[in-house]
Amino acid sequence: MSSHTTCAAAATTAVDLTKVKPYGDTMNDGMIQLSFTLPVPYGEEANEAAKILAKKMGLDEPAVVFSKDMVGFTYFVMYGKCQHTVDYTTIKVTKVEVDVMDRLECEKYIAENIKRDVVIVGACSGTDAHTVGIDAIMNMKGFHGHFGLERYHGIQAINMGSQVPNEVLIAKAIETNADAILVSQIVTQKDVHISNLTNLVELMEAEGIRDKVILVCGGPRISHEIAQELGYDAGFGAHTYAEDVASFVLTEIVKRKLI
Amino acid sequence: MGLLSQLKQKYKTLSIVGMAKNAGKTTALNYLIEEAMDDGVVLGITSTGRDGESCDLVTGTDKPRVFLDTGTIVSVPVKLYDLADAGLEILCMTNYSTALGQIMLCRVAESGYVQIAGPVNTNDQKIMCREMLAYGAEIILIDGAIDRKSIAAPDASDAIILSTGAVISRSIKKVVEETAHIVALYQLPELEDGNARDLILSKQEREKIMLIKGKQLELLDLKTGLTAGKFLDEAIDQETDYIYIPGALTNSVISDIHPAKMKQVQFILKDPTKIFIDAMHWQQLRKKGFTVKVLENITVAALTVNPHAPAGYSFEHEALLKAIRGAIDGIPVIDVKLGGEFSETI
Repeated sequence: MSSHTTCAAAATTAVDLTKVKPYGDTMNDGMIQLSFTLPVPYGEEANEAAKILAKKMGLDEPAVVFSKDMVGFTYFVMYGKCQHTVDYTTIKVTKVEVDVMDRLECEKYIAENIKRDVVIVGACSGTDAHTVGIDAIMNMKGFHGHFGLERYHGIQAINMGSQVPNEVLIAKAIETNADAILVSQIVTQKDVHISNLTNLVELMEAEGIRDKVILVCGGPRISHEIAQELGYDAGFGAHTYAEDVASFVLTEIVKRKLI
Repeated sequence: MGLLSQLKQKYKTLSIVGMAKNAGKTTALNYLIEEAMDDGVVLGITSTGRDGESCDLVTGTDKPRVFLDTGTIVSVPVKLYDLADAGLEILCMTNYSTALGQIMLCRVAESGYVQIAGPVNTNDQKIMCREMLAYGAEIILIDGAIDRKSIAAPDASDAIILSTGAVISRSIKKVVEETAHIVALYQLPELEDGNARDLILSKQEREKIMLIKGKQLELLDLKTGLTAGKFLDEAIDQETDYIYIPGALTNSVISDIHPAKMKQVQFILKDPTKIFIDAMHWQQLRKKGFTVKVLENITVAALTVNPHAPAGYSFEHEALLKAIRGAIDGIPVIDVKLGGEFSETI
């Protein structure tokens, strides 16, 4: 099998999107670099173990290009040729569909369509103590040159920080008549972020405010698809900035006539 | 006669509520769908989340797909329409938008697998069920999402089917304990007709916390009970007989209320889905003399058990069935993987 594919691969420079393979030096060579540690002493046997493992992972011609003695453990860097392909043309990812407005456009949109201050309460809830996500979206200085919601005229951004119990977050949202709640979940163990996120939805339903508030979650393990399953209006993954969230919340307020 | 045919005589809408994610809701749904096919019942199928995809979004484990028979009325969002291998006749486009696009109501024209999703909030769900009945569904099954229990609320459906299983714990004892706790909560006594009930109902739409002292009703100027324990403690005095809380009952609502006052006051809730207190804390509160009644409780029409957990362990079918049946009276319990002998137990 491999001899046939390598022959064909050598001859082509164009990408076949129905059969995408990793690119090393030439199209479709399938080259992959991986690194890992095995709990075995450094030596020839360790290298062999790493190669056998890579073979089992489906890599052709595995080679250990670097290994290091970690005292009782061995660290490896390996190369190998991936035999699998991906049909890129059939991939569908559900994303939040909104025309992203920049900060100034958002401010103009509020002035023209909502005509009052929009209140957004955000927190990193449950056991999670990592505020990096919610800060990136809410803090005035923002992240990567994208200013946070606190900088937006017409948005009253309330960042409650980390380890905020769901009840406290909801009490705040009710007290401030919030238009939207943003929840961030960065580091959680054993999928505890899932039960924490559903608990928030359930509490909001019980308090009778679920259909009055736009509910958004975000974090590296969150996708829009999971958000829907959990009962959220939107989910934002990595590489999301304040304007993405603001654009969604603002257009949703208008769409749902929550003005 | 199958379980579904019996349920159909009593209820129009049934919610399938899971004790946990992967407790076997979809398996229970499929079980009832199969019965409907055998008995020629026209089903309406919807979901508070998403159903029928083959792989779990969170755990990556396999999920049961949903096969629908000709004639079934089903809610499908635009983006999942193309993914259905059943032939779907579009009946109407609803106003409910979800992360997967607008929801359409469809009739299955050619049987096959369908991915289902429905409105995410309970109010929309309720209205849509009425539309589905109007299109000819005889009974509607609402599949819950994850462990979301708000769809158990009595105004969302006529009765519920509670799915429980090995996924809750590796110990059968714990599975039984947690399940019995939820069933007990759902069957909490309703506040009897009389002065207190009339007073509460007269002001219920204000969504305020109320105190009843004899024939007097006092509305508290409080937007929510959450984190307001201290305030409630001050508001309750020696004359207070009842306290009505329209929203959620959590530890932060009651933790600051003085034990003597807890004992003296009868707590009233709208329905059991408002309770967010686990089995252990609940027992501790009961010991302190804390009592709760609800305006409306929940009819648990049946329990389904799934002895397999996606984490790989499982219980003996018989052992789990027996333990659950031993702990819960008067509700049919079905092993969805085994099926069969429920009819004698009804």
